[in-house]
Amino acid sequence: MPILRPDEEARVRELFAALERPVELLVALGPEPTPLPGAHDLDFGSETVRIAEGLAELSANVSCRVEQEPAGFPRFPAISIQPEAQDVGVRYDGLPWGYELGSLVGGVLEAGKDEPTLRPESREALATLDRDLAIDVFVTPT
Amino acid sequence: MLLAYRCALASPRVTATAIEANEFPRLAEEMEVWAVPRIAVNGVPQWDGSVPERTFLQRVLSPGYE
Repeated sequence: MPILRPDEEARVRELFAALERPVELLVALGPEPTPLPGAHDLDFGSETVRIAEGLAELSANVSCRVEQEPAGFPRFPAISIQPEAQDVGVRYDGLPWGYELGSLVGGVLEAGKDEPTLRPESREALATLDRDLAIDVFVTPT
Repeated sequence: MLLAYRCALASPRVTATAIEANEFPRLAEEMEVWAVPRIAVNGVPQWDGSVPERTFLQRVLSPGYE
């Protein structure tokens, strides 16, 4: 089953055509939590790989790589969205289904820009940061 | 989510992770996720909901938000 409807696929292809640099999706697989109620036999890791590979098929500038239990990943499955194959700390933990496929696509689009799209004053504020910040955003697919 | 990603792409000091709450229920409970998006900074739950870029930056850069 395709990951996107034909109209969605065409739109994502169009968006990916604007990527200014290559983006790699590193899919990290490993031990997963107890299956969710109602998840039946869904293999979250395999589905995550399928989605990442499906997106990579839509642009020569998007690629996909799969690793088993790479260092630095606290949860599996996970996707590290890497501009020019560099880990810059942009991740999606879990299976990006439903609404959340949009977050993954959005992450690829952001990572594919040569310059960050924040406003200049926001970038200036971040430049003064003297400590590390780990921002976690909890989401659901519906 | 995209604001957090933009921050991570703009600063080597920042990481941004979307976490599918249903899939990691123990962590979601620890972070008191009752509504989404739920934002946590440095492992401390902070606020729910989308906010404008200026507010987002003010909050995550505030010394109280960590």
